[in-house]
Amino acid sequence: MNLVGSALAVAAGSAGGAALAAVVLPTRLRVVAVGALNALMGAAGALAGGAALAGESFAAHLPVLLPLAGVYVGVDALSGLFMAVAGAVVLAAGVYQIGYARHAGGGRGAQALWPLFAFSLLLVPAAASVSTLLVAWELMAASSLLLVVSGHRGGGDSVRSAGVWYAVMTHLGLVAILTGLVWLAAAAHSETFAGITASAPGLSPLVRGGVFVLVLIGFGSKAGVVPLHAWLPRAHPEAPSHVSALMSAAMVNLGVYGLVRVGLDLLGGGARWWWLTVLILGALMAVYGILQAAVTSDLKRLLAYSTVENLGLVLLGVGAAGAFHDSGHDELAALALAAALLHTVTHAAFKTLLFLSAGSVLHATGTRDLDELGGLRTRMPVTSGLFALGALGAAALPGGAGFPSEWLLLQSLIHGLAVPGITVVVVLPIAVGAVALSAGLAVATFVKAVGTGFLAKPRTQAAEQAHEAPVSMLVGMGMAALVCAGLALLPGAAGAALRRVVAGSLPGSGAAVTGGVAGRLSALGSTLSPLWVVAGTLALVLVLRGLLRMVARAPSRAAVLWDCGAPPPTARMQYTATSFAEPLQRVFDEVLAPESDLDVTPHAESAYLVERVAYSRAVPDRIEHRLYNPVIHTVRRAGMTARALANGSVHRYLGYGFTAVVLLLVVLAAAQ
Amino acid sequence: MISLLRKIRAAGRVAEPAPPRPAPLPAPVAQRARDLRGSAQVRCVDAGSCNGCEIEIGQAFSPVYDAERYGARVVPSPRHADVLLVTGPVTVNMAGPLRSAYEAMASPSLVIGVGDCAIDCGVFAGGYGVHGPVGDVVPVDLQVPGCPPRPDQIVEALRRVTGR
Repeated sequence: MNLVGSALAVAAGSAGGAALAAVVLPTRLRVVAVGALNALMGAAGALAGGAALAGESFAAHLPVLLPLAGVYVGVDALSGLFMAVAGAVVLAAGVYQIGYARHAGGGRGAQALWPLFAFSLLLVPAAASVSTLLVAWELMAASSLLLVVSGHRGGGDSVRSAGVWYAVMTHLGLVAILTGLVWLAAAAHSETFAGITASAPGLSPLVRGGVFVLVLIGFGSKAGVVPLHAWLPRAHPEAPSHVSALMSAAMVNLGVYGLVRVGLDLLGGGARWWWLTVLILGALMAVYGILQAAVTSDLKRLLAYSTVENLGLVLLGVGAAGAFHDSGHDELAALALAAALLHTVTHAAFKTLLFLSAGSVLHATGTRDLDELGGLRTRMPVTSGLFALGALGAAALPGGAGFPSEWLLLQSLIHGLAVPGITVVVVLPIAVGAVALSAGLAVATFVKAVGTGFLAKPRTQAAEQAHEAPVSMLVGMGMAALVCAGLALLPGAAGAALRRVVAGSLPGSGAAVTGGVAGRLSALGSTLSPLWVVAGTLALVLVLRGLLRMVARAPSRAAVLWDCGAPPPTARMQYTATSFAEPLQRVFDEVLAPESDLDVTPHAESAYLVERVAYSRAVPDRIEHRLYNPVIHTVRRAGMTARALANGSVHRYLGYGFTAVVLLLVVLAAAQ
Repeated sequence: MISLLRKIRAAGRVAEPAPPRPAPLPAPVAQRARDLRGSAQVRCVDAGSCNGCEIEIGQAFSPVYDAERYGARVVPSPRHADVLLVTGPVTVNMAGPLRSAYEAMASPSLVIGVGDCAIDCGVFAGGYGVHGPVGDVVPVDLQVPGCPPRPDQIVEALRRVTGR
């Protein structure tokens, strides 16, 4: 048993220990013990992933754990990447929850479920057979669902509705994955991934295409592919923040993992239309997600939509990689895949930080509505600084974590314009435009989040009485911030690991191809070194300050804000998140279709006097309204109609049973 | 564009020829005026005037008198200004805003009181809404008498500040 195996065993042990501790220990001790064990599990998971990224591999068959098939565990570089990401997120969120659990998600049940959910995130990428993957996937889905609804006492209806949406969507996704993978296993006459890989090239295009479409629906719904994203902006905000960090930074990644594993690794690439579909869906997600994020004023909903955007960029990269691979441009394919995977990592880093900071804002103020926040910079300086660091990453500006990966993605797409083929020539420029548009909107979105949420004056009493988060929460956020800063400043350091992952997951890519990835990444480190850009900018600011101080003839003097001689400005004069986003919403009016309602009640005595004016405005998720509501309506009507079948008569029910048995026998007799 | 340039060339200068250089300022004010190095950004504050002085100030910056050629320029905020050009008797309501406008200027700064009302409240002295002359609210460095003062008097005061 090598390092990967032992670290995984430690992770499993501490997950079990944490779950047990949550059930048996007294409240005060429980929070600390569970948090520490969770952090240990995260560290072990990250270590296992890191070892796998460094070149170790691990495989094991545990026949007793699961009836009939047994559990197959296999860790290669691709699993290692996702395992390391999940482990690191679990580590940060595990430390964070020591302080946070006193506020939310601290019930016995929720505390016992969290380690199971976290461990399932490590288990999914480690699965090496269809049945193991499905069991781990269902464990992940069920435990996260219970964690989402764990806050229902305080949240009321919105939590319940989020839970129902999440339950339905995640299980429809599971059905699609189950059907697809079982079909694949049956056609390949093998249940293990090794067996499937061996016999996949001999399968008919119909089976391969069908399987791919099914897993795209299943894994895509987990990754938030538009239009299957409806659960995401509901479930993420309602879950306690250390759960939403795990969901948004680690769980959604596994959708990408599944797609890469099945599409590229097991099926060995495929027809061009598979990957062009993925690419187009990714571009759609990126733009739609960030557009919704730009106009929402709920902080966690904004972050959830930003997750949709970032996963869209990742899928765009994966799709481009598949399409390039199909046309024989393996170097470009490797570059696009490396960009997509690097973006998965950076997104996980900054989204963990952002969700944990949003959690500490919620903890301090009790609200996540940006219109009711403001002025947090002076009241919670550390949280505000860390959130701003995460926002810099999410806005993909130089110096932020998201910049190197988005830059690499753009590079691979622009180089791809040289690839012949009419579809690629049409699709790629649009994809480049989608990446650019989403990056621009992301800047506006996060300027809004930081500017209206944290700067200026507090808008409500709750924001005015905000206080800094406890130390354990700050430490958890600090860990994520360190990773963010590291990825932002030294992206070249990830080159070797990424090369190993790409070499392992892109079929038929030789050493020469993946050498190109490392070269490109180190070139990114040298020609456009983010470290030097940041150091230079900071030095420039300091030099300018020094120069100004030297040149200034009079000492600086503090003066009150110039208010045009009017009474002092109040918090109600500030930009709110809604008013900041209003111009954008106006520009994208046709896409967003906001609904506003003006209701004027005239006075009883005269129609010319107004007694009351009510105005309400909402930007509903249009896709959700147009696509889901008719389906829900139809299902509900069918259900109401079917009530006529069940009128309570026992004779009738016996009749149904009898008819069913007779029909079955007839069918069986006819089939023989 | 060409026709505009042609018109500019045909019109030439329409401003009056520059009068002789005015007398220099007294010593303490002169030091601050010298620190402005010939460029005075001017913010006008109407502290309660009948608007007669405003019309004349408008003329002082018109093409005929053209105070800008001597380095004075009207700006929209005291934050940008070196010189406060105050008109009228200071009313009760304007005393506070005038003081905060004065405090909003970066140093070195000067205050010019324009018109008789700025000096001694003129015909409004003793009115129920009148707080007092400008000198009661902010320190006045230079005064331009007249009801209203002629534009060339205002230009002359500004020239003494810019020294051009």
